[in-house]
Amino acid sequence: MLKQFLQFAAILLIAILLFAFQNITPGRYSVYEPGNRIEKEWLEKMSVSEVLIQLGEEKPLHHVATVHEDSASMGKQFVYFGKLKSDDKDVPRISKYFVCTDCHNQVLETDDPSDESPDRVLQYSMENDLPFLPASTFYGMYNMEHWYNGDYVKKYGDLVKPTRDTLTNAIQLCAIECSQGRAMKDWEIRCMLHYYKTIELKISDLKFSKDELLDLAATVGVNNKKAVKILKSKYNQINDAHFGTSEIPKIPDYEPNFEHGKFIYQNGCMYCHTPDKNMTNFKLSMNQLNFEFLARKIDKYNQYSIPHIVRYGTYAVVGRRQYMPMYTYENMSEEQLLDLIHFVKTKANE
Amino acid sequence: MLLFCWGFQGFSQELVHNTFAATRVINNHSNIMLPKQTLEFIVAHKFGDIAGSNGGLQNFYGFDNLADVRIAFEYGILDQLDIGLGRCKGVGTRTQLLDGYAKYSILQQKTTKIPISITYVSSLVLAYGKATADSTSVTSYPKFLNRFIFTNQLLFTRKFSDRFSWQINAGYNHRNFVEFNDQNGLFFAGTSARFRITKFLALLGEYNYVFHPSSNNRHVDPLSFGVEIQTGGHVFALHFSNAQALNENIFIPNTTSNWLDGGFRFGFSINRQFKL
Repeated sequence: MLKQFLQFAAILLIAILLFAFQNITPGRYSVYEPGNRIEKEWLEKMSVSEVLIQLGEEKPLHHVATVHEDSASMGKQFVYFGKLKSDDKDVPRISKYFVCTDCHNQVLETDDPSDESPDRVLQYSMENDLPFLPASTFYGMYNMEHWYNGDYVKKYGDLVKPTRDTLTNAIQLCAIECSQGRAMKDWEIRCMLHYYKTIELKISDLKFSKDELLDLAATVGVNNKKAVKILKSKYNQINDAHFGTSEIPKIPDYEPNFEHGKFIYQNGCMYCHTPDKNMTNFKLSMNQLNFEFLARKIDKYNQYSIPHIVRYGTYAVVGRRQYMPMYTYENMSEEQLLDLIHFVKTKANE
Repeated sequence: MLLFCWGFQGFSQELVHNTFAATRVINNHSNIMLPKQTLEFIVAHKFGDIAGSNGGLQNFYGFDNLADVRIAFEYGILDQLDIGLGRCKGVGTRTQLLDGYAKYSILQQKTTKIPISITYVSSLVLAYGKATADSTSVTSYPKFLNRFIFTNQLLFTRKFSDRFSWQINAGYNHRNFVEFNDQNGLFFAGTSARFRITKFLALLGEYNYVFHPSSNNRHVDPLSFGVEIQTGGHVFALHFSNAQALNENIFIPNTTSNWLDGGFRFGFSINRQFKL
């Protein structure tokens, strides 16, 4: 009875949402556009996963029915500090080399979750001064369905197989391999899931055109499967990766963008290599000596060569577990790599 | 000091970093602090005289002799507080030494408003070797406290540009037990500088002036030059110095070799940091 009531309520609310856009001019817009009659707060609370469940989708394996504040708070502490702030001795640091935020943002990286292309992410990051990081944002990680796809198998081998459809396994792999830390206990992973749930995608994060909304309205209650398909087309469900090579990209007629390169250097490279953080022994700054050094090494085939280190990163080895993750094509385009090289070369010649 | 107050431009970050590459310039302490929960391992050697009566080919320019060797572990308790513990072979009569220090960063240079870094270093040496029966020797150690030597100093440091950093240090050295007619306490002042040629290569120099050393002591002020090589994990400092010892508690009051007499030697140190 309750389930049917909730279904009805959700469908009714979606229908109200659709009617609210009747008088708005066509084109892509956000539900925040002035003139709509939908309560902003309600939309921000309405999670994509809950709507999908109401539309008849199966609950994911990592489903969290109710967020427990304490669990979410502890999950957040693991993400930001790698441990609990209380310094509980029974809960050692997950990794002494990394915390999640070293590689993962915690906010949306694009204004349209259906488009997470490097260009879109760079544009949005520049507008919002976000770190330009090599791994996917945790915002919306809860809504994904597949992890460690594509070329991740080249790096982690069969370890990726159990992670591809199970978020808890993906978290465990990230803790042990990516962060070179310890295995997380079940309750710690549950805390992470509760935290993920707090930063899952909301309906208000998705971008719909008027036609898409009308299409959605026509299918809700009539053809829920199609409604689900429309909703899922509005965000990415696969954590994919394609590795590059250390060759300097050759793109005919491409004019590198200095400002893009500068942003990638400052919000990407320097995010970890800044002397403010004790993350690496290879420190970078806006110091002229750095640019001269990097410019000299661009054509080399070693870890100081920008195209090489960006595409290959480094690997954890015995005695030196801390490594640099690579930027895949999904996280940095060939054009952006050229922008970065152009920026470094220009600064080196100043 | 006026030079230290000279304004500068060109840094984009608030705190000024990498004034020096390691916690030592050559032998002198630098203002560099170990990040919190970071362990540094240092191994340092000094060989025998390159020239003069004890040098030359017969000693392969000092490489056949070992003046001093130090192995130490240092740890960043806080970003502003380091401690260290080491063991030196020692030179002259003072051998078999344990050394320790605490370093506190009072002020750190910033791009604006704070033009210098100020650091306080307090160090001590404990000579743990067996006491001699000769009561006139400095190693007779009638009391346990006679085995200690203390040095307290302040470091004033400024990074003038991407390439050039300069430090002035001033302090007081106190040996609890000294030879007849020698004096227990010595004031000293020194200077250290670093000039970066490339990102990973730099020239180093340092000098310490000791005020009113004892007249019966053949004291010479320690003067050292070196090259620093960073490898992205290790910092190597290769140097030439007239000081035989590696610890300030020893080389400040007890340097007797003179550059002009060929009394200088090759030495090196390797620093490696581990994040705990």
